[in-house]
Amino acid sequence: MSDSSSQKLNRRALLLGAVLLVGGAAALTRFVRKPGAGSAAGPGLTGAQFALLEQVCEVIIPTTDTAGAIVAGVPVFIRQMIEEWSSAESRAELIGVLETAEKQAWSRFGAAFIELAPERRFDVINDLDAQRLASQDPAYRKFKHLVLLGYYQSEVGATHELRFELVPGAWRSCVPLSEIGRASAV
Amino acid sequence: MDFDAIVVGSGISGGWVAKELCERGLKTLVIERGHHVNHRTDYMDFSAPWDVPHRGMVPEAEEAEHYAVQSTCHAFNSATKQWWVRDSEHPYSTPADRPYRWIRGYHLGGRSITWGRQTYRMSDYDFGANLKDGNGIDWPIRYADLSPWYDRVERFAGISGANEGLEQLPDGQFLPPMALNCVENEFKKRIEEEFPTRRITVGRCAHLTEPTAEHIALGRGPCQLRSTCERGCGYGAYFSSLSATLPAAEKTGNLTVITDAIVERLDYDHAKRRVSGVRVIDTNTRQGRSYQARVVFVCASTIGTAQILLASQSEYFPTGLANSSDTVGRYLMDHLVGIGAGGTHPGFQDRYYYGRRPTGFYLPRYINLTESADVDFLRGYGFQGYSGRSSWERGGYQAGVGADLKQRLRYPGPWGMQLIGFGEMLPRADNRVTLHSSRKDRWGLPLVHIDCTHGENERRLAERANRDAVQMLVAAGFENVMPAAEVKPPGHSVHEMGTARMGRDPSTSVLNARNQAHDVQNLFITDGSCMSSCGTVNPSLTYMALSARAANYAADRLASGEM
Repeated sequence: MSDSSSQKLNRRALLLGAVLLVGGAAALTRFVRKPGAGSAAGPGLTGAQFALLEQVCEVIIPTTDTAGAIVAGVPVFIRQMIEEWSSAESRAELIGVLETAEKQAWSRFGAAFIELAPERRFDVINDLDAQRLASQDPAYRKFKHLVLLGYYQSEVGATHELRFELVPGAWRSCVPLSEIGRASAV
Repeated sequence: MDFDAIVVGSGISGGWVAKELCERGLKTLVIERGHHVNHRTDYMDFSAPWDVPHRGMVPEAEEAEHYAVQSTCHAFNSATKQWWVRDSEHPYSTPADRPYRWIRGYHLGGRSITWGRQTYRMSDYDFGANLKDGNGIDWPIRYADLSPWYDRVERFAGISGANEGLEQLPDGQFLPPMALNCVENEFKKRIEEEFPTRRITVGRCAHLTEPTAEHIALGRGPCQLRSTCERGCGYGAYFSSLSATLPAAEKTGNLTVITDAIVERLDYDHAKRRVSGVRVIDTNTRQGRSYQARVVFVCASTIGTAQILLASQSEYFPTGLANSSDTVGRYLMDHLVGIGAGGTHPGFQDRYYYGRRPTGFYLPRYINLTESADVDFLRGYGFQGYSGRSSWERGGYQAGVGADLKQRLRYPGPWGMQLIGFGEMLPRADNRVTLHSSRKDRWGLPLVHIDCTHGENERRLAERANRDAVQMLVAAGFENVMPAAEVKPPGHSVHEMGTARMGRDPSTSVLNARNQAHDVQNLFITDGSCMSSCGTVNPSLTYMALSARAANYAADRLASGEM
């Protein structure tokens, strides 16, 4: 065993001891990376991939009279999911969607996706969306679900774009939609 | 003696036994194998969606490596992860081609934190079913024996619901019901017209709609319609051991709780026909300890209880404590699920609802009761169901991006409805929990081996339940109606029952009519293992009633010196 790995183990043992004193299992999960999670964490996105991700997300959920995907933190969320949540297979699938968008930008318009005018970015993603959902492509469905999850379960997406009350406090079983206004985020 | 009574397990059954015994003045020790949980402060119920780790999704590799079985439960997510065991650390075995889903959590309060909170009384159709068709053995009790105990536990737990006057779903002591929504009311009207003996009522559930003084005194408040119940509820609005029974027991001054202590075995004194000690392994120190009491209740959950009895071998009980009948571990049942149907409703586009109601509706059993023509199976099924409008998730599988997508998802989508069947499973001796012959867990205890399958009756029942569900949705004007995809493996409904069944005859059952072991006079078992048949309704309310009844019986016997 090398010095550095034994030091890590000692630190871990100390940390575990401290955690047992202060708070048990809940505290533990905050500090100690689980073996499974450790093996799941892949490398992050490159700067170029993240820039592409930002623009793809913004096409799917653009800024209108309410915030779009970037302001709502969707690209940051997806990057986090790729780094912390995805299996190696999911990571490859999600990055594959970005790569496909980039390829189609080049093949159709001869330029990188982020260099395209907004209407051309829309054309690329709109066509990709139509094709991949028609063929029920699991990789694209996963990607789109994460974009929507990232947006509609963000604070701005849930409470400004849709409706969300942490504590509704009442059940009204049958009311005119016009009184409620928008869809419930949860 | 260390204590008057020992209760193994702190879930729904153990919590009830502890409360009743403590209130009868008995010094009671509750032994929980899992860790301590602080009511309120250990819950994630005040986390908004954007504050929940990974928006509720558990990392894929972690899930695959550690939660392969537990993650199949609908209530498993990143905000409830602490309530499930890691399968990697708590293995069990099954035959390779016969999966069984043993879904569970090891912590104070057990599955009373994550349970579905649906609460229905069993009826005499259920208690008489085994006698009528000859499968299993006759229950040693009938509805009249349990009815006053259902009253008692419903009042204390706080059950919201509506009385319907149905023989197969007895009325109870209910707090005000929650209301059906517009589409559910329409469905109720259409179904009750079309099928005169089918009835739809709002789901009876262990939620405080109007807390009583007794509930408030325990620090419990009214339901806030959040529907984050499986994370734990800081309002104490739904019944759990942590919100209700253990605090009530604590108030008496008679309760001692120890956590992190796995019961290894029960020692037996043959001369006195009594459990003489409860041996535990401290999971922190790995040291063994033993506790003594005048009476011992095992409420370790259906499979856990069987495991403890089977492991408690002695000269007089070579195959396990209280097992002279060779029925310990046998007759494992679980409600048949993965049956039913779903569809969408084209109407009511201008109607919606406010709040997140934590229950649905219930369509109690009719098959083989009021409708038995062309039925080629025994017993029956009931349906739980709900209707709601779809939200942003539909954008994930419908084509469209950009401003149009955003505008479309701003408003709710069509109404959908799910009918979720719960079918009765026959008790069969071959459906069985045993101890593995060689593999042991990290504590050196033999692994549980579960061998359980559905039979021909279950297959026929599932087929008919799907057909009925589709027919009802179509009859009520639903579109895009699809039957449930596949019957789930046994264990999936988390209603496991039957491994130490009650019966009249000591040669064919483990427990008598008071949940007392035929073979061992100071041993009682009141969790799901006592069930002689599984009926069609969610079983927890019945465990509560049986637990309260058995605890008071034991207290009576101790007081009179008869035990």
